Amino acid sequence: MRLFLFAIGGTGSRVLKSLIMLSAAGVRPVDENGRPVPNVEIVPVIIDPHKSNEDLKRTEALLTTYRSLRERLYGNAVNADGFFATRFVTLKEIMSEGTIQLNDTFIFNLGAVEREKFRDFIGYDTMNEANQALTSLLFADYQLENKMNIGFVGSPNIGSVALNEIKDSDEFKAFANVFNQGDRIFFISSIFGGTGAAGFPIMVKNIRQAKNLEINNRDVLRKAPIGGLTVLPYFNIEHNDDHRIDKADFIVKTQSALYYYKDTMTGANDSNLNAIFYVGDQEVSKPYAYDPGEHGQRNRAHLVEMVGALAPLKFAGMPLNRLSDPDGFPLQTSAFEFALDKDERDINFLTLRATTRRLVYDPMVRFHLLFLYLRTGFRDQVGQGFTEDAPKIKSDFLNSQFYRTLTDDFMRAYVDWLVEMHDNNRSVSLFSLGETDMNRAINAVGTRKSLLGRKNVDNNVFKAEMNRLSRDARYSEHTVEFKLLDLFNRAAQRIVNERYEGIN
Amino acid sequence: MKDKLVYLCIGIALTVLFFVFNEDIYEAMYYSVAFNNGLHNYDVYTPITIITILMAWGGAAVYYYAINSVRWDRWWHWLVMLAVVVLLTPIICYIVNVRMFNENGISMAAEAASFEFFNLVVTAVLFVIASFSMRWWSTNCRHTPIPQ
Repeated sequence: MRLFLFAIGGTGSRVLKSLIMLSAAGVRPVDENGRPVPNVEIVPVIIDPHKSNEDLKRTEALLTTYRSLRERLYGNAVNADGFFATRFVTLKEIMSEGTIQLNDTFIFNLGAVEREKFRDFIGYDTMNEANQALTSLLFADYQLENKMNIGFVGSPNIGSVALNEIKDSDEFKAFANVFNQGDRIFFISSIFGGTGAAGFPIMVKNIRQAKNLEINNRDVLRKAPIGGLTVLPYFNIEHNDDHRIDKADFIVKTQSALYYYKDTMTGANDSNLNAIFYVGDQEVSKPYAYDPGEHGQRNRAHLVEMVGALAPLKFAGMPLNRLSDPDGFPLQTSAFEFALDKDERDINFLTLRATTRRLVYDPMVRFHLLFLYLRTGFRDQVGQGFTEDAPKIKSDFLNSQFYRTLTDDFMRAYVDWLVEMHDNNRSVSLFSLGETDMNRAINAVGTRKSLLGRKNVDNNVFKAEMNRLSRDARYSEHTVEFKLLDLFNRAAQRIVNERYEGIN
Repeated sequence: MKDKLVYLCIGIALTVLFFVFNEDIYEAMYYSVAFNNGLHNYDVYTPITIITILMAWGGAAVYYYAINSVRWDRWWHWLVMLAVVVLLTPIICYIVNVRMFNENGISMAAEAASFEFFNLVVTAVLFVIASFSMRWWSTNCRHTPIPQ
């Protein structure tokens, strides 16, 4: 199954970033029995005219890094187990040779939308006087003058016009052509801004009305299972006299949009969505710098984004008969919300509810231990033990493209993500940041008691376990990259179960 | 797996050969008529050979399967074990040798010491043979002293 994941606007990019981090850790879609869903491939498509948005750039860079690492680990195999298990591909990668030419990128090319002022885009100057008057009623002057390469600055009324062009784009046609029976679609967007709030319903409308479009797969597409994550207000912005974006508007905008969504997508008579996930937080975040777009928008990662990233995974794991009727049409929209186990400002694994914990705890802990091991232990162990089994991990591996990309690029982004979530409010403190002692690395979870104090976890414990696993396994057919990460993952599974306190 | 069993079989075969031809080997390395006659006549070769084999194989087994630690998996750790075995074995053999000679009214302490100096070399060779025979199944030290 392919999951086409449309991340719309700044929030879309940030949630996608969290999804990449969770996927790197090995968090995957699971079915109702908790078993990983096989053959899931994610096709992320970022829709945002604001190309200089720092969050978008960071997410795109991370996706590219993830893709190169995964390719080195598993090649083109769809199914994998462990770190970087989920495969992310671009539209270009999966489309067959044809007349449509796309760039090999995760970003949707919005063409003219990215280049023009809104007034030029709608041809304001060529309108007659009556139409100009009507347009001026619908759009404020600053909206008409808005150059859309910085996004729609919190104005969904701009977005709803500008993004309607998407259906005629090459990207949309390419998407429609590669969409097959069994694939699913998921949207990530905020409801209180401009780009996401407008883009989400437009995209859903275009897909459900695919019979009117000049594309292949019309029938399959209009019956496609569609899910959406609607991010409710969750962050605060610094006060500014420029009121183009105002926190005071967030709730009003949300209410209006929710009514609109009910009428067009989720209502009893208009169930165009198969499932919708709502996530937000009334706890006030640390205020982000006021930036309608001119300065790049670089917002700290937030718990809501991490939680939101679980929604597409949940959607991918839902059985089809809970989404669609036997003819393939959507059932009444299923709505989901998220709750913490305890309403606290400092979030650790024990603050999460059991269902969430079961999904994320083991993989995230394993990945964090990998991060610590690569940072503090691995270099000294090259040339010893498991590294000497075939295929040998030699010292030049430390200078390889893969290793440097993993440790310098990806792990650095991982630390940034953890630090940003930690420094936000709520503060996500899953791990003790800066702590290199594995025994104390997981907040609120210690190592198990033993006869002589507590069980120990350090680099030598991992080395011993990997030595054992490597002795009994055969990696000679695999790459050194796969060997290292697979061994560590399997070693960590055992060590986490045996040496850390059980919380699941 | 097959290769590893071959190494083990070769190691055992070499050790058996040493046991069978112990007198010839020892005498080729060290020969003093009275002393070697004493070793032969009072059947001292056999216990010395058995002790040497047991110490070499036992020492290797202790290193690879009892110690078997990631903190003791470098070549110099193996060398420490070799040194311990190589020093301990001649001392034990010397004591056994002298005691058996004394029981028969013979005193050849100086020759026994010289003999054990050569037995030290035999022990080292046997320890190496034992190491390369059995190390393959060790969890943490199978690449010691030389990676596979």
